[in-house]
Amino acid sequence: MLVDWLPQGLKDALGPDIVFWLGYFTNGKHLGWYASVQYTLEAMVLGAAVALVLGLVAAAIRNSGPLPLRWLAAGYINVVRGVPDVLFFLFFPIAFEQGLEWILSTQVCTPATLALNTGQWPPCDAANISFTKDQYLILAGVSLGIVYGAFVANVIAGALRAVPAGQLEAARAYGMSRMQVLVRIHIRQMWVYALPGLSNVWMSIIKATSLLSLLQIMDFVTWAQRLGASNFSKAAGLVHDDWRWRYYLVLLIFYIVVTYISEKVFNVLGARVKRGMALAEQNLT
Amino acid sequence: MNPLAPLFHDIEVMAWPAVINVYFAAAAIPIGFVFAIAFALGKNSSNLLINRLSRGYIYFFRGSPFFIQLFAFYSLVLAFNISTWKPLGLDWFVLHPLFLGPAILGLNTTAYTAEIFYGALLTVPKGEIEAARAYGMTRRQRFWSVTWPHLIRLAWPAYTNEVVFLFQATALVYFTLPVVGDQRDLMNTAEVLFQKDYNVFLHFGVAALYFLVISLAIFYLFSLIYKRLMRHMPQAATMKFNLRRVFG
Repeated sequence: MLVDWLPQGLKDALGPDIVFWLGYFTNGKHLGWYASVQYTLEAMVLGAAVALVLGLVAAAIRNSGPLPLRWLAAGYINVVRGVPDVLFFLFFPIAFEQGLEWILSTQVCTPATLALNTGQWPPCDAANISFTKDQYLILAGVSLGIVYGAFVANVIAGALRAVPAGQLEAARAYGMSRMQVLVRIHIRQMWVYALPGLSNVWMSIIKATSLLSLLQIMDFVTWAQRLGASNFSKAAGLVHDDWRWRYYLVLLIFYIVVTYISEKVFNVLGARVKRGMALAEQNLT
Repeated sequence: MNPLAPLFHDIEVMAWPAVINVYFAAAAIPIGFVFAIAFALGKNSSNLLINRLSRGYIYFFRGSPFFIQLFAFYSLVLAFNISTWKPLGLDWFVLHPLFLGPAILGLNTTAYTAEIFYGALLTVPKGEIEAARAYGMTRRQRFWSVTWPHLIRLAWPAYTNEVVFLFQATALVYFTLPVVGDQRDLMNTAEVLFQKDYNVFLHFGVAALYFLVISLAIFYLFSLIYKRLMRHMPQAATMKFNLRRVFG
């Protein structure tokens, strides 16, 4: 334990109670708990990156793609938004795994092994794939990205339409190509209108990372669950009874701090993208 | 055998679980609606204590995930089981998911709805309230005959969205609360069916279909109410949602 390394003088000065709690909060399990925050933060960032890219692509196609693709983009945006995020969050990693297993099964399964198989899935034992923890984390981040990409696309499609037509016409008149207008003028100007909506989506992504524990990732929700459950050891007797709600309260406070910081960052960003633009304040809310 | 038979079977099996989800939402929405009015007024109050408390409540519930709120409140209620609920003979009721689910959902939706109502409250024209004061109306009269009609009309489209999100949040309830008897919800049923034959596309697809259809039904119902709220307007404002936007 880390407290054993403290000099005796300091221990005496702090008193036995504080030393006990210092020891409790720095024991191996608690250190594991603090370290597991990284999974949550990684999923947050990966999810947001995937969501932003997917959202931009889907919004661009939705607004001005060829017709069947436009329907596809609209279908994606509206169907995913109409379904609870947790449903898709559980669905996508399993569906992805089964898809890979199906492709593999066409290669490795022989009629003999197929006949041997009693269960329904996978078709034969050789086609079984199991992901590592890290791969599951990436899958979780990607499925977060797919879900919230639909929300981002909705925000950006609206923001693209909010850019004044005169700006785009002026750019065309300067002889810019379609691509140049899109990248230099349209997407640049869009951020002002999109930022409030994007901030909301980011907050949703933050909160959705609490679902990681459903994908067998040892994230800090799972840790809190285990640490908080009544703790009995042969050496020390009953260490504590059911303390789960205290641990969950810590999680709630963690999320509130993260959303608070995000809010401040988005306020700064919002002020930055607005600089030099003659906009009425009510357009931005 | 009819190739669509498994699909129809799933639709049939999930009809009752869908009712459980609708129950969660339907029980939580009135609670949230009533308390949200109080918290919106509280956030707008000039009394420092009420103001801070309302702001704190709204910030707490909007800033943290509903999934963890479920865990926290369920374990909090459990912690008081031996000392409080059991002696009072209330444990069967307080710990029942059909009570606890809507209760925690209600706490959550109160905060979100209060924020929507507060936003609408800020846009009520000052002149109308001053005019009402000049007529000698009491505070209560001013609220119910001037502020409230203005507020609810402005807030309705955003409130509709919140109700749909609340309905989708009901999918999380049974990941935390214990299932009593056969009161499974859609997610739970989909998981049970999935464990049997690992057909993720069929079972999760049908559950998704139920969520989608009921969400659309909520939109439709609320747009009818919106139309009625706006019936005095010369050009009846329609809510942004319509099917042509979905597939256009």
